[in-house]
Amino acid sequence: MIEVKHVSKEFVSPKKYPGLKGAVKGLFSNEKVVKKAVDDISFSIADGEIVGYIGSNGAGKSTTIKMMTGILKPTQGQCLINGIDPSRARKDNAQNIGVVFGQRTQLWWDLPLSESFTILKEVYNVSDEEYEERMKFLNEVLGLPEFFSSPVRTLSLGQRMRADLGAALLHNPKVLYLDEPTIGLDLVVKDNIRKAIKIINEKYQTTVILTTHDIGDIEELCSRIIIIDEGKKIYDGSLEELKDTYGTRRKVSMEVKKQEKLKGLNLAEKLGASHEECRMEFDEENKILSVTFDKHKLQVPQVMNAVMEVTEVKDIQIQETELAEIVKEIYNHGIDGKAV
Amino acid sequence: MKKKLRIYFPFASNELKRQMAYKGAFYLFIFISLFSSFIQYFLWMAIYGSSGDGILGNLTRNEMIVYVFMVYVTSSMVMITISDWVSTDVVEGMIAMNLIKPMDYRISLISRALGQAIYRFLVPGVFIWIGLEIYKVKVLGMQVTGIVNILLYLLSCIMSFLICVLFDFCFGMVAFFTTYIFGMLMAKEALISFLTGQLIPLSFFPGAVQKVFDFLPFSSMVYTPVMIYLGKYNQSQLGFVLARQAAWVVILYVLGSIIWKQVTKRLVVLGG
Ligand SMILES: Nc1ncnc2c1ncn2[C@@H]1O[C@H](COP(=O)(O)OP(=O)(O)OP(=O)(O)O)[C@@H](O)[C@H]1O
Ligand SMILES: [Mg+2]
Repeated sequence: MIEVKHVSKEFVSPKKYPGLKGAVKGLFSNEKVVKKAVDDISFSIADGEIVGYIGSNGAGKSTTIKMMTGILKPTQGQCLINGIDPSRARKDNAQNIGVVFGQRTQLWWDLPLSESFTILKEVYNVSDEEYEERMKFLNEVLGLPEFFSSPVRTLSLGQRMRADLGAALLHNPKVLYLDEPTIGLDLVVKDNIRKAIKIINEKYQTTVILTTHDIGDIEELCSRIIIIDEGKKIYDGSLEELKDTYGTRRKVSMEVKKQEKLKGLNLAEKLGASHEECRMEFDEENKILSVTFDKHKLQVPQVMNAVMEVTEVKDIQIQETELAEIVKEIYNHGIDGKAV
Repeated sequence: MKKKLRIYFPFASNELKRQMAYKGAFYLFIFISLFSSFIQYFLWMAIYGSSGDGILGNLTRNEMIVYVFMVYVTSSMVMITISDWVSTDVVEGMIAMNLIKPMDYRISLISRALGQAIYRFLVPGVFIWIGLEIYKVKVLGMQVTGIVNILLYLLSCIMSFLICVLFDFCFGMVAFFTTYIFGMLMAKEALISFLTGQLIPLSFFPGAVQKVFDFLPFSSMVYTPVMIYLGKYNQSQLGFVLARQAAWVVILYVLGSIIWKQVTKRLVVLGG
């Protein structure tokens, strides 16, 4: 059980001025810049859940993860991970968590991977039998033997990520934090990593908190997502619900026979919708007319009929809005008024 | 407690292995530092030769020979630099990676330093030490150093080691707040070889200056164990210098904990 209660984090840094003159000025000035990276965020996560924690660049995802893992102390509020406050009892908390920061390794750069695992075995106090069992499992799902004796600095990004994930799981943590675990990976490795996360979650009931910019990760792994924007939580709920509520756009693409006939056609006006609720685009080369409309306002047959009244249609395609589109929309315009 | 310390064992053993792997650089280090010891040796011999006095700064000519080379043995063993590990860890963000593990960052650094100290004790420490003892007895006609002195010397060395690494930890942490780490490192190196008595025995300084040195941790780093080895302290002095070393271990440990608290509070975990 993870409880995050009204957590905020402010970064205070000295104000910097440009140029050499500015550097000197900065030495003598006391001005501070305060950046509120996380602003009063609360949520709780039950055991065994996989939660996607998403938001645009700089939204405050990594900062939240750092507070939950005990690296940073919240300015206000409190995190409780299975009843332990990581900012108070960092080491106790560390024993129960696994962390992967995709951008950075937790392994010892100069040492062969095998040595890093030996160190971690001692650090987390993993017994010999447990170690054997866990390594067998990890070797299977992550394919570690391939590079087990190479120094970490010689590993490719994908190998390093698999190694890092393995290292985070060696002590069978109750909670796994993954900050962009699939960044920069090829499609196959990405797939393997996702599978591994899924298996681990099912087999050990590990709670997983995942930040990512890859919508594929979310669609394949997460049943629940939390979206934050500029440090504030703007959505917390199931993936389905998000799609239902915000995936309101549909797109109908029609290949038409006579494009001249489309001139002067204004679907929005004809169907009594606003321009926002019904948009037309025409691809001259392929003679394809795409209509994007609000599914609560208009129906597919209505749109089709309106077009077929003026010209013959050779082919039709209907698309639901993809999650990526929804998320992009939310990042761009916020969740306006519909906040949870 | 025993189990708690066991988790740091791999850090020491890995550092030992790493040192063995970088043999080339290490031999160069031995060569250069031994070379400077020999320069000192010849310098002192010239000084003793021209002064006519048998005793300078409380040391006889023969004692000075022992001093120069025992300073070498001692300092190569106890003066382990960890501040550059600290700064690379800070720059590369490894500090954060250490914070997500159930371990103490400082103890892991000290364990690493211990691995290095053990290696330096094995090569070249003991060999030069034994060579020096043989030279002392065969050529200089002095007595072999007694077992009690050797044991007290080793005890003092352990505390010296702790003082050095604990001090250097604080130094590395403070340097982390200033932007000019390189300059500070240079200044530290120069000051330390002077203040520890590596360059000139501290007994050469005027009384008032020596009083000041007594209040600094540096004299406890190298000078104290070497003087113990030379048997220069009587019983009560011995108790005092050992107690002073122990006090410095405690003070620097506490100081380091306080600085560490401040640093982790203000830790800027880069990027991500
Ligand atoms: N140490 C710091 N000092 C000052 N500001 C910081 C610091 N760390 C982060 N920030 C700021 O806090 C905000 C949130 O950063 P954070 O790293 O949490 O973003 P993020 O959601 O992980 O973004 P991304 O998707 O790009 O990784 C950003 O505006 C960032 O500039
Ligand atoms: Mg981030």
